[in-house]
Amino acid sequence: MAATTVHSDQIYIEGLANNDSEVIHAIYKKFVPKVVHYIKSNSGDADKAQDVVQEVLILLFNQAKAQQLQLTCPFDAYFFLLCKRKWLNELKKHSNKGVTIKDEQPSIHDAADEMVVQTEHFDEKQQLYDAMFQKLGEKCQELIKLSFELPSMEQVAEKLAVTYGYVRKKKSLCIGQLTQLIQENNRFKSIKNT
Amino acid sequence: MNEEHFLEFDEYLQGEMPDADKLAFEEQLKQEPELAMAFETYKELHLHLENKFGKADELQAFKKNLKGISKKHFKKSKSNVIGFKPWHYAVAASVAVLLGIFILNQKSDPVFEDYNQTETVFFTERGEADDNLKLAQDAFNAKQYKKAIPLFETILKTDKSAEIQYFYGVSLLEDNRMLEAEAVFNELKSGNSIYKNKAIWSLALSKLKQKDYKSCQELLLTIPEDYEGNDQVDALLEELD
Repeated sequence: MAATTVHSDQIYIEGLANNDSEVIHAIYKKFVPKVVHYIKSNSGDADKAQDVVQEVLILLFNQAKAQQLQLTCPFDAYFFLLCKRKWLNELKKHSNKGVTIKDEQPSIHDAADEMVVQTEHFDEKQQLYDAMFQKLGEKCQELIKLSFELPSMEQVAEKLAVTYGYVRKKKSLCIGQLTQLIQENNRFKSIKNT
Repeated sequence: MNEEHFLEFDEYLQGEMPDADKLAFEEQLKQEPELAMAFETYKELHLHLENKFGKADELQAFKKNLKGISKKHFKKSKSNVIGFKPWHYAVAASVAVLLGIFILNQKSDPVFEDYNQTETVFFTERGEADDNLKLAQDAFNAKQYKKAIPLFETILKTDKSAEIQYFYGVSLLEDNRMLEAEAVFNELKSGNSIYKNKAIWSLALSKLKQKDYKSCQELLLTIPEDYEGNDQVDALLEELD
């Protein structure tokens, strides 16, 4: 990937990652009203808008925490597009009846489009990882959980009453198994290829 | 991909691989795209799991903060945009009165009494009159909670309805038997009756009564927006801030 300049709006992303209330307030003040307006004029209401906004912000928090979020476009366009697409998906999911969607002219922010695709891929991957994790055996799930929750692998070994060598080995094999489950999954292949 | 590879991945990511092996491993990645892809996925998963399990508390803290801010913002915008509904004035007036009380009392923390509005109950309206039900109803409505509690206990032996449980909990709370009250509310909270949200509200009030403001706030934030007493929830949340 070519090195791209990070947009000055990256402060919003950093603020979310740091759980900075001031930044979150600013996002609600500056960018959320537009989203609310859009959702309200497209078969939604304020409550639905509130849910969509929260979901998107949690997603951004996770992506920022995973250090995979470098904003290359204004936050405004990016955030609005994400919320809008989430809402349209929501409408599609829950309604077979024709819904009126007042779509404005297609987005002209190319950088924003690209960012949105990245974030949506991140979202899909996270969901896939979680779903595949559930497919692991109980022992593997427990061991993986503990090895990240507890501060050291020695403590994991102690807790499970096995040797340090065993938990170390088992942990990599369990994550390995998860890696294979994911690579074999068709959804993963399609995310990778788009 | 075999087991050896995954063990190698882990060793590499933990920074435990000797330098010579490290170079050889990186060279191998360049030459075997399949291995490189598996390694990329492994690495990403490792990070994902670390965030998910190792930093679960950070996400929880963020969600809580976000929910609070969101609630505040949407409450504000609701009254700004929709406006002019008579009940908004009522809400504003009651908030103003509450604020007034606080200012007059020179108190900075909200107190249980201001939010404690006991309802009048009518158990015997539906169904045939049961002696204990009638007695419990009268005692409860007369705020004689000490008298109502044993009556509720008797009723609960045969009728474990959410309604009776809830008002039994309220009586305990009024009688300062917090632990017992909270046990009752917690049971309702984990259930799915129409008293679920009322129970959470009462739990929050119990925390408020004990001046455990943090727990109070946490509970309030779990009450959904469509709860009928949401105005009180919002008012109390604002006070707690």
